[in-house]
Amino acid sequence: MVPRNKPYIAFALLAISHGLLLLAGFFAPYDPTSQDRELPFAPPTRVHFIDARHKLHLLPFVYRWRANTTDRGYHEDRQTVYPVRFFSQWHFFATDPPAKIFLMGSDAYGRDQFSRFLYGGRISLFAGLVATAISLILGMILGGAAGFYGRWLDELIMRAAEIFLTLPWLYLLFAVRAFLPLHIAPNGVFLLLISVLGAIGWARPARLIRGVVLSAKEREYVLAARGFGASDVYLLRRHLLPEAGSVILTQAAVLIPTYVLAEVVLSFFGLGVSEPAPSWGNLLANLRQYGVLESYWWIFLPALALVPVFLAYYGVFSYYGYYRGYYFAGDGRDGTRNSLSFMPPAKA
Amino acid sequence: MPFLVRRVLYSLFLLAGVSILTFVLVDLAPGEFFDEMRLNPRISKETIAGLRSNYGLDLPLPLRYLRWLRSVAKGECGFSFSYNSPAAPIVWRRAQNTLLLTGTATLFAWLIAIPFGIWSAAKPGKWSDLFAGGTLSILLAIPELILGLLLLLLALRSGYFPVGGATSLNFPQLDFWSKSKDLARHLFLPCLCLTAGLFPLLLSHVRASMTVVLESPFIAAARAHGIPRRRLLLRHALPAAANPLISLFGLSLGALLSSSLVIEGLFGWPGLGQLFIEAILQRDFYLVVDAAVLATIFLIFGNLLADALLYTLDPRIRDD
Amino acid sequence: MLEACHLRKHYVQGRWYSRRQFHVTALDDVNLTIEPGSTLALVGESGAGKSTLGRCLSRLEEPDSGEIRIDGRNLWTLRPEELLAARRNIQLIFQDSAMAMNHRFSAAEIVEEPLLIQKSMSRTKRRKQALTLMEQVGISSQWAQRSALEFSGGERQRLAIARALTLKPRVLILDEALASLDFETQEQIAKLLLDLQASFSLAYFFITHDFRLAARMANRIAVMWKGRIVESGSVPAIFSEARHPSTRLLLAAAPDAQDDALARIPREH
Repeated sequence: MVPRNKPYIAFALLAISHGLLLLAGFFAPYDPTSQDRELPFAPPTRVHFIDARHKLHLLPFVYRWRANTTDRGYHEDRQTVYPVRFFSQWHFFATDPPAKIFLMGSDAYGRDQFSRFLYGGRISLFAGLVATAISLILGMILGGAAGFYGRWLDELIMRAAEIFLTLPWLYLLFAVRAFLPLHIAPNGVFLLLISVLGAIGWARPARLIRGVVLSAKEREYVLAARGFGASDVYLLRRHLLPEAGSVILTQAAVLIPTYVLAEVVLSFFGLGVSEPAPSWGNLLANLRQYGVLESYWWIFLPALALVPVFLAYYGVFSYYGYYRGYYFAGDGRDGTRNSLSFMPPAKA
Repeated sequence: MPFLVRRVLYSLFLLAGVSILTFVLVDLAPGEFFDEMRLNPRISKETIAGLRSNYGLDLPLPLRYLRWLRSVAKGECGFSFSYNSPAAPIVWRRAQNTLLLTGTATLFAWLIAIPFGIWSAAKPGKWSDLFAGGTLSILLAIPELILGLLLLLLALRSGYFPVGGATSLNFPQLDFWSKSKDLARHLFLPCLCLTAGLFPLLLSHVRASMTVVLESPFIAAARAHGIPRRRLLLRHALPAAANPLISLFGLSLGALLSSSLVIEGLFGWPGLGQLFIEAILQRDFYLVVDAAVLATIFLIFGNLLADALLYTLDPRIRDD
Repeated sequence: MLEACHLRKHYVQGRWYSRRQFHVTALDDVNLTIEPGSTLALVGESGAGKSTLGRCLSRLEEPDSGEIRIDGRNLWTLRPEELLAARRNIQLIFQDSAMAMNHRFSAAEIVEEPLLIQKSMSRTKRRKQALTLMEQVGISSQWAQRSALEFSGGERQRLAIARALTLKPRVLILDEALASLDFETQEQIAKLLLDLQASFSLAYFFITHDFRLAARMANRIAVMWKGRIVESGSVPAIFSEARHPSTRLLLAAAPDAQDDALARIPREH
């Protein structure tokens, strides 16, 4: 089960998905907040090549959804053909109004789920990346200091880390969330949320980095550099922290999806990004109403589309991190002994 | 046994630290339970002030913390504004539900993971191993939320599994057997979700641990002695592989509780996690703190249990 | 020029709160002097405290008491700027050359690192200096970009020597520097060291457990046993007048040493 080859597929997936999300404005046909009151809960638009008169079109086209009179469903209006236009008006694909091309259907307000998925992914991913960066930077500073200077500073930082690690992380997250206003509207407060998210996650990276610095500190080339008169900062910068590079990479690969998931969970329960701004959690929150979940299956599509992204991150992580025992390195009872004894122990 | 005494003392220190941290965090929240009351013109300011001082909300933070400690000692653990009663019974009832859910899920997860892990380690490379590995990796990566939503969809479509709550409305009137069936039906989906999230990780570690042990010299020696395979696996290899797994148990508790938080909220299982979320939305201060601290207590207790197990089973620890 | 006076150091093993603390005496009232341009060898069995002494002399570890004086000035009371200058004079070469070099660095970067730390030169001059030194120790400059791990043990020690020479030291402390090399390579490196000593008027403090090697390379030998210098003197004197039991043991274990001492390693002029 341990992947032996470089995770090319995973990297490719990540590149594609991040590319799509970054260029959401280009790939999304509609603005995420624009509503269409005539088309609530419309199913995904079907793309055709052969029209009602059995004529083959070279380029795909769609029909317009019209509401049924008898039930709350829709039927296709086969009178008019609306071709799908590519690269029109800075959109990768779009179609002429009044037809709509809803690749993932629409929600209660008639908003295109696909566009919301792309824009929402930007927000969720942004939250994940920024929070990860904050956690790693804090971890580097505190873990580096703890490993390098040792003694009471090390004790202090490690005990603090232990307290942060003892709380189940989601409980800690929610408790911290309680510390912010209930409804987050403007961007400033959203950034605050992300920063706090990242700040509480400093403990595990700090512990791991501390382990690396501690073991590297006694190596002979560090002593040799000291012998030439190297300062502490020089040692940390040129010799010690680069050793932590692989640990940091592994951490990033697991922290990014964790924080994205944190945002998703928060928004799902109404404590994260609030309407009308889209985020993956917001999209999934539609599913909390069991009626929606049952009747309109396409609302589930964003959830499925999330999975490859997480899979890709996990693939990268498991390639780099498996035998470094991310989960358990340095998590022994006293923060030193590796509790999974068959993994290379983080020396103390 | 200074080792265990040390662990217990340390756990108490951790608990104190966590309670203070939670207290401070929740206290910094800008909103309050009484904010809504303030908007109501019919409730006078004096009444609100009176209520606040009654619950000690106008005291400075350290004093409030001490009052809460005293309340814990009395067995009340603060006061819940939304339920209008002491917090302890509410929290405890919910905690029992959570224990039921997580306990059952953990049990099943380990029950599945151990045999599969042993078998997988004993016969590496077979299609079953690779297939299991593949599904496992996927399962491991899917967030519980999405897994839960999938299962929820299933439940709604099939109609067999009730969603929401731990028991049906007519629960008190049922006899014992029906009561258990009812509880089981409600428990099934959240438990399945939690187990599905937990057991891939366990399985991969059981497998890895067993593989390492099976490659070690003493197993080769035992095999050379002609010890039959099953006995070899169960009586020789498994105990040696148990050490890291017990530690794994202790360490996975945190993730377990976090997962159960999400699943309880999703399936409407009336547990500690759901109470926690509600209390945050209601700004019910003491409930939030109690729920968080209680979750931590479970975690710490589980870790102490794992430590004690390790201590009795692994002589190397005793030489510490 | 470099003196150690009444050095003492001990190590403590075990947790600070546990009762079972274990004291190990590494240095017990050690006195010695290293004269400029000469080689003093320190011989003793493993665990006698030789490495500790080497590290204390290069100010990598702190003795519990006693003084280390360079040119009459106490090494431990120097101000930071003076210390930086003092560090240039004393350099340590480690036994394990692989661990003594950061594997992420190329050979040229390793050799020029002291200059980088001491901030004395521009980048091009630094690099030039490093390459010159590499040539002097016998490493061709076309290998400058190779990582340290790609060299053999002997070549790595040459690099270590080049690195140590960058700051133009006056004393080189060689902590079992030849111990992990095979016999032939030992000969080559020993020859190189002696040549360099002549060219740059270096003093060597040669720590080794190999009595024969010590006899061939040094002017004077000091014998260390359990943290104490139990005997010291010129090479012929040690052979004829060895008194301490451990010296006799060492002599007995290397029966041809006397002959080797007479057939010293030829120097090229």
